[in-house]
Amino acid sequence: MHVDFFDFFRYVLGTVVSIYATVVTLQSLYGWYVYLSGQGRYYSLMRRYIMLQGLRLRIKAFGGDTLICILLTVAMILLLRAHQLVARMDPFAHSDGRRIATTR
Amino acid sequence: MADELPQPDESAGAGREIVISAPPPAAPEPAIGQPPTRQISELPKDELSHLAESLGLDATRFKTQQHLVAAVHERRQLIAGMDRQAMLDVVRWGRRPVTVNASKEQIAQEIARIRSMKFGGISHRGLMALALLRGLEATEEDPAPRIVRRLRRQEGFFSRLNRKRRAILGGMVASIVGEKDSTADYKFLPDPNAGDGNPGSAGSVKPESIRDAIEESGLFGGISNRIKKGADQYLNQKLDEIEARIDRKLDEIDRRLAEWRDKEIANRIKILKITLWASVIVGIFSLIYAYVTEVFFK
Repeated sequence: MHVDFFDFFRYVLGTVVSIYATVVTLQSLYGWYVYLSGQGRYYSLMRRYIMLQGLRLRIKAFGGDTLICILLTVAMILLLRAHQLVARMDPFAHSDGRRIATTR
Repeated sequence: MADELPQPDESAGAGREIVISAPPPAAPEPAIGQPPTRQISELPKDELSHLAESLGLDATRFKTQQHLVAAVHERRQLIAGMDRQAMLDVVRWGRRPVTVNASKEQIAQEIARIRSMKFGGISHRGLMALALLRGLEATEEDPAPRIVRRLRRQEGFFSRLNRKRRAILGGMVASIVGEKDSTADYKFLPDPNAGDGNPGSAGSVKPESIRDAIEESGLFGGISNRIKKGADQYLNQKLDEIEARIDRKLDEIDRRLAEWRDKEIANRIKILKITLWASVIVGIFSLIYAYVTEVFFK
């Protein structure tokens, strides 16, 4: 069985990092959820203040960078698609379906 | 018309109080040992910027604090030399809340808050006063259309565009809400020092004279009451000043927090952008590598 170690490393690393990032993000979100759902005047003030800061956000301050991030994400998706196409490519096939004969 | 005093309005009922007495002279400047420029230069930087902006100056235009101090002093001198009635015309046109006996500086501060560019209904002298307070040169000989043109040119293209956008939005919201324009005449605020201090009381009550106070409460009682009233007024004034300073500090804190928040979000998005760039570049190299190995080495 031929194992491409580069691909193996890539897929394992990608899987481990994705799981780690997901777990850390979920932990952080859960922590914030528990904190902000607290009862009491202080927590209520905190919730309102966070909402107020969110409403006061000005897109102008970081809109350009956000647009670039969206475009780069689209570029990433297109690159993934290109990788899949390259992986399916058969360099020995003619456009009409015939195969080029090779001698070894 | 601009010189007429507002008449009492019976139909207003328990609404705003109308001052029907002749305007008393403006409150005298407190006696100070040091010249005003020296006092201004001793103010902390944010207080000085706030004072400059309240007088209609753009504090960011001045490179050093000394320039700003000079500009504030110059503006104060300009305000002191302006026609009071002209300033009141502007306040009436802009419908800003002032008392009739407000000082010129207080009136100028209210005028500085007026951002309207619709000059219909303002007198020529008021227009001139407004132009001077907005930093333009204007004289008695300049006709009103020329002054208006200069004011509009000063506004700038993008500011005008934004104002028109806001006007369209405001018109749409007003038509949805169904609000009608108020056609009520402008009325000055009641003098807070008149009468028993209750702003809702009708008419202006003459303050009690020292003779009446002594007649009521005896010599020492009358004098001590008078001193207590003076001390109370002084304390209230100082408390108001302290409250205003605290409010300004809180606004400053709020503003800095907002700046920090925007900067923090911008930095996080920048980090994300750099990561995405790196991923895309590595992806491109990987694609080229995969293509080359697929075509030339298989």
